[in-house]
Amino acid sequence: MTAIGFNRFFHKTAALDSTPSQALTPVKEAAIVATHINMLYRNGSEEFKALQDVNLRVKAGEVHLLMGPSGSGKTTLLSILAGLLTPTAGQVCLLGEEITKFSRSRLAAFRLQSLGFIFQGFNLFPALTACENVEVAFHLKGIQGPQARHQSIELLTQVGLADRAHHRPQDLSGGQKQRVAIARALAGDPQIIMADEPTAALDSHNGYAVIELLRELAKTGGRTVLIVTHDPRILDIADRVTDLEDGKIVPH
Amino acid sequence: MASIARKNLFEDIPRFLVAQAGIMFAVSLVTIQLGILKGFSRSTAIVIDYASADLWVASKEMVSFELTSPIPADYINQATQTPGVDRAEILLLRAGRWRGPDGKLSPTRIFGFNPDGQLFAGWKLRDGELNAIKQPYSAIVANGVQKSLGLDPPDERTGGSIGGLPVTIVGTAEDVQSNASSPFLFASLETANAYGSAEVNSSINCTRNAGGDLNCVNSFKNRPIGEKVGELPTPKPLSVGDPITYILIRAKPGEDLPTLKQRLTQALPETQVLTQTELAALTRNYWEARTGVGFILGLGATVGFIVGMVVVGQILYASVADHLREFGTLKAMGAPNSVIYRIIIEQSLWMAILGYVPSMGICLALGQWTQVTRGIMILIEPSTGIAVLVLTIVMCVGSALFAVQKVTRVDPAIVFKA
Ligand SMILES: Nc1ncnc2c1ncn2[C@@H]1O[C@H](COP(=O)(O)OP(=O)(O)OP(=O)(O)O)[C@@H](O)[C@H]1O
Ligand SMILES: [Mg+2]
Repeated sequence: MTAIGFNRFFHKTAALDSTPSQALTPVKEAAIVATHINMLYRNGSEEFKALQDVNLRVKAGEVHLLMGPSGSGKTTLLSILAGLLTPTAGQVCLLGEEITKFSRSRLAAFRLQSLGFIFQGFNLFPALTACENVEVAFHLKGIQGPQARHQSIELLTQVGLADRAHHRPQDLSGGQKQRVAIARALAGDPQIIMADEPTAALDSHNGYAVIELLRELAKTGGRTVLIVTHDPRILDIADRVTDLEDGKIVPH
Repeated sequence: MASIARKNLFEDIPRFLVAQAGIMFAVSLVTIQLGILKGFSRSTAIVIDYASADLWVASKEMVSFELTSPIPADYINQATQTPGVDRAEILLLRAGRWRGPDGKLSPTRIFGFNPDGQLFAGWKLRDGELNAIKQPYSAIVANGVQKSLGLDPPDERTGGSIGGLPVTIVGTAEDVQSNASSPFLFASLETANAYGSAEVNSSINCTRNAGGDLNCVNSFKNRPIGEKVGELPTPKPLSVGDPITYILIRAKPGEDLPTLKQRLTQALPETQVLTQTELAALTRNYWEARTGVGFILGLGATVGFIVGMVVVGQILYASVADHLREFGTLKAMGAPNSVIYRIIIEQSLWMAILGYVPSMGICLALGQWTQVTRGIMILIEPSTGIAVLVLTIVMCVGSALFAVQKVTRVDPAIVFKA
């Protein structure tokens, strides 16, 4: 999808979405639809309601921010939307498929196919070079050998790290590490990117570079980007913001 | 994908080396135990293996090669005359007490045979010549036992004696000593017979003292050491009545062995006749069962295996625990469990191979050393090598399964935890 196409699409659907929980059936235009999500953490006899009746719609191609104070349940919600955590109740539809009904292995296959992750702590493989870190994602997707290498270098060039491709994470700055992680998340061109505090571990300069990169990949790739963040600078690139407080969506 | 396993392993070289040391220890332990068992078992009947007889005639009471009763020397004639027998040779097994050049006693096993014969002495000589034992009071010594005979340096030739009769070492036989037996000496029939029957003279003189107690003095008289051979009586040839131990038989070409066996058993009362293979197997079984050596060394090998399993399991588990976040990331990215298993199993295979190769080298070198210095063989045949390799792989991959468990239980949601 081109940037122009994306913008047109955005304007057309924006009006429909005044209340997040309006349409519960998977709509083609909605990349992420979460309905009546409840999450109860149990620690022995103690129970903690991390999420209470959360409804969320993220349209295809939009950059959606999930904000809120610490402990409000952002990471929990993101984990559930990514299919990494099973909610106590509720449904999650990604790209029109109800993933809360999937088996573990089908979920894994779905994540592999359609999701890219960016983590606060980068989560790179420390023993591998930047290039190899990206290659791993290609290998998992069945692209091997020189082709994987070639495409990895291409992605690293896109994130401005062509010259650092053969360095290991320990020899990279935090911002560079996060850019490697972004390149890895982009491998195989997934439709949805999910990021948890992508700039939290970075200084302002590096954080800014990463935000720029996220903007670029959102606007040019036509991907759906869901970002959990505290960083107000990211607001600049957001199409929409959802606020979470005490496990509930704050109505605007 | 493959590189994750290898690179995670080599990421921390000191830790990797400690791990490999543990694996090498375990592999070496298993190999040495198996090698000693094999080497021991082989050695107990190696002297039989070197012979080229079809059949061995032994006393009916024979239990194993060295545990038997004598048969009359006269049987050699009857055996030779038995139809189907091409050749028959006497083998004499005697025990002797060796007094070394250092004056210390040691038991020996003396073999007497005809140096012109064809059936017994198939072993190789490290030095010397077989014919040299035709000289009275000379013998060939099995390599590796010189030290226990007090021959120091090992090529010392004279100074030893048996029952007062001097022994001149005229050669060294390679790889023939049984680890279950006293040092082997090989001599001509006459010399062996002389050594075997050279009793030490002893006399007991008893007197009753005033209190009525019996007071006895046991006095031994040995032939003086260093007496010249020329002054000794030439050993007597075997006579018909002398006891012998075995008769080695070569059958005529095309002769049916079971039939010949029967014929010989009938012709020679109070005997049993075995093929060479049967005698060797009987002897090996005897030693393995009687000494419990198989059990003991097997136990050692098992302990080695378990130690290896624990070491590898421990290391893989620690490595997996260290990289749990990475495995979680892989899972979050959508890697199926099989990919994660493969990484851990590949890691364990690297550990297996990199532990196995140097261990084998060490064991082979160690085997050389024990063979040369102690005459104890650590026999690592290709089959042993392969068996240990398989065991090592089973050990490493088996313990990888512990580690795999930890990963399969990992919650991919941990990836978002800072
Ligand atoms: N495994 C768990 N067991 C029990 N409680 C948990 C568990 N994980 C999270 N919680 C609780 O759920 C609440 C929401 O946690 P979550 O990590 O989603 O917050 P967050 O909004 O991401 O916070 P932050 O901004 O600090 O990352 C917190 O109060 C937390 O203590
Ligand atoms: Mg969080």
